[in-house]
Amino acid sequence: MDDMAGNKTEQATEIKETPKRHLWNWILCAPALTVLVFAASGPLLIVLVYSFLAPGSFGGITWSFSLEGWFRVFFSRDIFDPEIVSLNTAHLTIFWRSISLSLQTTIICAILGFPTAWFIATRPQHTRNIWLFLITIPFWTNLLIRTFAIQEVIRNQGLINTTLIRFGFIDTPIQMMYTDFAIFLGMAYVFLPLMVLPLYAAMDKLDIRYLEAGYDLYASRWQVLRHIILPLVKPGFIAGSILVFIPSIGAYVTPRLLGGGRSMMLGNLIELQFGQGRNWPLGSALALTMLVLVVGALVLYIRTVNREEEPRHG
Amino acid sequence: MTATQGIGSPATDKGPAIEIEIRNLSKVFGDGPRAFKALDDIQLDIRQGEFFTLLGPSGCGKTTLLRLIAGFEQPSSGLLQINGKAVAGLGPNRRPVNTVFQNYALFPHMTLAENIGFGLKMLGKSRSEVASTTQEMLKLVKMDAMADRKPAQISGGQQQRIALARALAPRPRVLLLDEPLSALDLKLRKEMQVELKRLQLETGITFVFVTHDQEEALTMSDRIAVISGGQVLQMGTPHEIYNFPAERFVADFIGDTNFIDAEIVQYEGDFAQVRLPGGVVREASLPEGFNARVGETVTVVIRPEHASLTERGDLQATVENAVFFGTDTHIHLRLEDQTPFILRRQNTGVSVAPPEAGQHACIAVAEGGIQVLRS
Repeated sequence: MDDMAGNKTEQATEIKETPKRHLWNWILCAPALTVLVFAASGPLLIVLVYSFLAPGSFGGITWSFSLEGWFRVFFSRDIFDPEIVSLNTAHLTIFWRSISLSLQTTIICAILGFPTAWFIATRPQHTRNIWLFLITIPFWTNLLIRTFAIQEVIRNQGLINTTLIRFGFIDTPIQMMYTDFAIFLGMAYVFLPLMVLPLYAAMDKLDIRYLEAGYDLYASRWQVLRHIILPLVKPGFIAGSILVFIPSIGAYVTPRLLGGGRSMMLGNLIELQFGQGRNWPLGSALALTMLVLVVGALVLYIRTVNREEEPRHG
Repeated sequence: MTATQGIGSPATDKGPAIEIEIRNLSKVFGDGPRAFKALDDIQLDIRQGEFFTLLGPSGCGKTTLLRLIAGFEQPSSGLLQINGKAVAGLGPNRRPVNTVFQNYALFPHMTLAENIGFGLKMLGKSRSEVASTTQEMLKLVKMDAMADRKPAQISGGQQQRIALARALAPRPRVLLLDEPLSALDLKLRKEMQVELKRLQLETGITFVFVTHDQEEALTMSDRIAVISGGQVLQMGTPHEIYNFPAERFVADFIGDTNFIDAEIVQYEGDFAQVRLPGGVVREASLPEGFNARVGETVTVVIRPEHASLTERGDLQATVENAVFFGTDTHIHLRLEDQTPFILRRQNTGVSVAPPEAGQHACIAVAEGGIQVLRS
């Protein structure tokens, strides 16, 4: 705020890119790069190779080229006559459920996260850290334990159902465990802090004067929210959405414990192929399909967001 | 002065109408032992179409007063009327008042044109009216070539112009300016002073300007209220404030000043005869409501430019040094009772040699150049 605009470009040109500095930058990056190459790109490459091989009888792979893994991602063959091919609706259902539940999770996290982050950002400076600390407390507990805790709340003999029955609102328990709703609830709970933190960071930087200027120029509370606060904290929404959506679509523990065998998500399907299914190439192909889905969704999302930002005048 | 003018009488009868009427206005922040009284029983009348300045050091309450008028804060007690209507409880979006913020607060995600059109859009004006008024405002502040830029792409001075255009676009009754020039460098500040004055005359809108810069206040204002410690110490035209400061703070805060002890010999009405150090008796003006007592020692003010070195003067002094400023020379002296005294001599000719240090000098004070302060 202090020296808006004017001096910014001057400051930016001051840091000169000398060859020495360039080399030093690479040296500093080296450890992180090494980890990335060996721990991320390496395995990914192996998965890519595996997806084009045939499955071994007891898991693993046999070294012969095959497109069967990729084929089986979308189609299934009749057990008795492999020539009869049909769309693999089970897989497609799981794809759809993963995308839909992740989107719902992202949206509910944004809706719940916004007021939460706003509440924290508008507290006095010295109490904000306490609130932020409280937000991060769930991260201190093991994910498994937290998920079991949710089970305790929503299962048929759980907290909600017994309370409702005790007070006579219902006669038979509402089935919540092993439904899409259970997964949705679990993921929203687990990933909410990932939305709140970047939103808070964006709001923390928001100058209160912009809001005052909005009110001063005849905007109502609602208009200030829509025309000033939301556009200005958009980077927080983008970061938060990415942070929630990506782990949601690959979630494994939450759907496994809360969705059971009935409501499977992509992560569980992939695990199944590497485990009981003993079809590593299919598992690899599914993993890569998920990767493509995520990258595709991200590109689409960022493009939409940026298109809105282009000036509408002239 | 005019502080008491409007009380109990309809303000619109004579002279320019009153735009903002402030009576017994107080603002207290916090409560209990940590309460802080930012404004203490303020009385002010701001006239329609005038350039009114709230002048004072930082923390004096001038910005709080501006924020009360704007509606960002609500008064703890007292009356605040804009155009004859009490505005207590109304938010800033329901007052015919717009603000130019200290750091402009231009919306960074909007183009300059969108910034200027924002207020009109919120008022529900038609798209064509918003567009035409925006164009008009861009022309008014000479920024029409940059309508589609974002605030981050223009300089501080240009941001200042856009902030002005944005606040003027909805045609408010009153424009509030919160130290709008303080972030600009000296040259730009001078330019903007002229520009502000031009805009005020062209639009006819009442300007309420907050500053801690006394020179800015003197050059631009129709009237000034000097504020300190949450109270209005003096209100008047720049001429009145400068030449007839009522209190030591006002005299000290505005311009360079000499404070000298003097004794009241006799008085009548607004004037008194005072005995200066060294025995010379001169006429001095008294501040409004001053209860003079013969024989009382008071402090008088003499502006440096109202004094000159002569053969036979009112005060006897020794020269300490002389500082050359180009257009004028400041001569630092010490009176016989060791009171420091500054004298400003305009350099009308090149041949005038500055007095030498240690030299004895006589100081003559111009007619009407002595003002008694409230003790």
